[in-house]
Amino acid sequence: MHAPPKAVELEGVTKAFGEHVAVDDLALAVPAGSVYGFIGPNGSGKTTTLRMIMNIFYPDRGSIRVFGEERRGASGDRIGYMPEERGLYKKMRVRTLLRFCGRLKKGRHVEAEVDRWLERLELAEWADKRVQSLSKGMSQKVQFIATVVSRPELLILDEPFSGLDPVNTDAIRRAILDLRDQGTTVIFSTHDMATAERMCDFIFMIFRGRKVLDGTLSAIQGEYGEDTIRARIDGERIRLDGLPGVERINDHGRVQELRLRPGTDPQIVLRSLVERVPVTHFELAKPSLHDIFVRIAGPEAAEARRV
Amino acid sequence: MSKVLRVALRDYAEAVRSKAFLISIVLAPVFMCGGIIAMTLLEGQEDVSDKRVAIIDRTGLIASSLIERAESRNAEATHDLATGKKRHPAYVFEIVPPPEGGGDVRVELSRRVEEKELAGFLEIGPRVVHPVGADEADGMRYYSEGAAFDELRPWIAGQVNERIHSLRLQDAGLDEAAVRSCFAGVPMAEAGLVTIDAETGEIVAKPAIDEAAAFGVPFIALMLLFMMVMTGAVPLIQSTLEEKMQRISEVLLGSVRPFELMMGKLIGSFGVSLTVAFVYLAGGLGFGWYAGGLEHVPLDLLPWFFVHMVAAIFMYGALCSAVGAACNDAKEAQSLTMPIMVPIVLPMMIVIPVIKEPLSSFATGMSLVPFFTPFLMLLRQSTPAGIPAWQPWVGLAGMLAATLFAVWAGGRIFRVGLLMQGKAPRLTDLARWAIRG
Repeated sequence: MHAPPKAVELEGVTKAFGEHVAVDDLALAVPAGSVYGFIGPNGSGKTTTLRMIMNIFYPDRGSIRVFGEERRGASGDRIGYMPEERGLYKKMRVRTLLRFCGRLKKGRHVEAEVDRWLERLELAEWADKRVQSLSKGMSQKVQFIATVVSRPELLILDEPFSGLDPVNTDAIRRAILDLRDQGTTVIFSTHDMATAERMCDFIFMIFRGRKVLDGTLSAIQGEYGEDTIRARIDGERIRLDGLPGVERINDHGRVQELRLRPGTDPQIVLRSLVERVPVTHFELAKPSLHDIFVRIAGPEAAEARRV
Repeated sequence: MSKVLRVALRDYAEAVRSKAFLISIVLAPVFMCGGIIAMTLLEGQEDVSDKRVAIIDRTGLIASSLIERAESRNAEATHDLATGKKRHPAYVFEIVPPPEGGGDVRVELSRRVEEKELAGFLEIGPRVVHPVGADEADGMRYYSEGAAFDELRPWIAGQVNERIHSLRLQDAGLDEAAVRSCFAGVPMAEAGLVTIDAETGEIVAKPAIDEAAAFGVPFIALMLLFMMVMTGAVPLIQSTLEEKMQRISEVLLGSVRPFELMMGKLIGSFGVSLTVAFVYLAGGLGFGWYAGGLEHVPLDLLPWFFVHMVAAIFMYGALCSAVGAACNDAKEAQSLTMPIMVPIVLPMMIVIPVIKEPLSSFATGMSLVPFFTPFLMLLRQSTPAGIPAWQPWVGLAGMLAATLFAVWAGGRIFRVGLLMQGKAPRLTDLARWAIRG
């Protein structure tokens, strides 16, 4: 079986701003037609990487290929880009603005696509209103349409869900997945680990400019093994300190997440748990993406690095 | 259609629909013409009530003659001959005898001036006809509340002096008429050069240069270009800054390269100023045709006007958009606008010496400095004397080089600045971005 062609390939990409190395020797291969999620703490180099793929920043070293072509000097007409810091011309009318954005990439014949998207994201009646009269959620949706209206083959979205309410988040998520089904490759960055888990074929984590995770969710979780117990506890709250073989407890309120020391028998933990509190749910699981993120970038890891 | 053109069209459409544009295109001429109209209106609004002046004539020889002259003037010059309407005030004099025994009437007269009964009062010293030394009594004084520019004072001074001259001539036993004819002035008229008409062989006058052509035309051409730059190039600071502040820039950079974006904005701006130029030139030429005086307009300079306009918009515009891209807010932009405005405003400050002597080495040298060329070369070219034919071309070469440099450097600053957040840029930062890219 042939491996699918790569939509984006980075090799040895490094970018520094003055003394600060924002991205350090980064390699990445995004298969065409996949959804690739970028995660990582603020300031770890996500946006810089996306901007380099967009040819807005040039890497100091390394090569970036999009659809097999070196990006230097090429214009990104096959790529739709929604930056994290985004805005729209406030005085323009929605439909005129979207046509402008579409034509800027595609050239012509964007009218039908603009109207189709306005219809789909329930903005049709706002088409002739000025952008400044839209609510925040509506202008986010307009921003999304502006990005996809040219039917890009690669979609790069920097924090597409930030600031959206659940209804609009669902609408945008469905739209992204539909585009994926039509063959569009999607790269997006997010701070919402649940979204990344549910939506992404591949997850890529960058921390302090370096790649720390890259692969499918199950492959990443597989590296950590089934070392997590999720338990739902009834009744009054009791501190669970000192359980045998438990390295760390993440208190999620009703649900407690217990991380086991390597080689610990979960049955022993269950027994001592039941002795202390009524347990209504007990599950042996792989660590969540959230937990993995915190293990890499949280204060505990920072402590470990200092030692 | 290229991306540059699409950006240009969008910017143009937004600019010409803005209120600021409509105001500038409609109101600027209104303000300019308004000044002229106001002056014309005010001219007819002169205070025509009689002006009374008291005279203390210590010679006893002058006051009565002054009254006679005032009466003949009042009969002739105060009314419009055609309409019979009173246009100027009559001058009325009253003689106040010098107080005997050394008393001072000036206090009483001053009070009457304060009560607006008198416009002022004149004191003529006893020895004005044959002064000895610089004694106060040798001169004359006009006492009034203010030192206004009225026509009354110079009229009185002229009349009194004429009377004194007559008295002196009489005392010297000379024939006044003969002496006056000796000193009659000869007026000097302005004339142009002459040339031999190729067909008839006759000597004909080249068209005379008058003041309208020598000062008016260059000045209007300069102001027009200045206005083009102010409507076309300078607003790029604001519009680029707004795109950056509203986070539109990076969205656009997903579709166009930074240089394409800047060029698009420049071309859009050029379109705006071309529109303004068209409206003003059409209006101005139309007015010239209607009101006469079109012969003063050097139509052969129009192509040069546009050449200088293109260069000015692109040269200053590139720098303005670079400044807009580099700044994070209006306050930062304001402090960086100053250095950009220097090459635009400096030529305005040296207009007068350049118009007076367009061929001086100062004027020539300044007009060949590329960043001043658009304004100063155009100014010199439109003076009637003309300048050596090679100079505009040398100026053009320097100006094109400077324009290309400004667009290149501006483009690099634009690219780096657009995504730079936080730190307020200094001129040295801009220079570094231009060099490193």
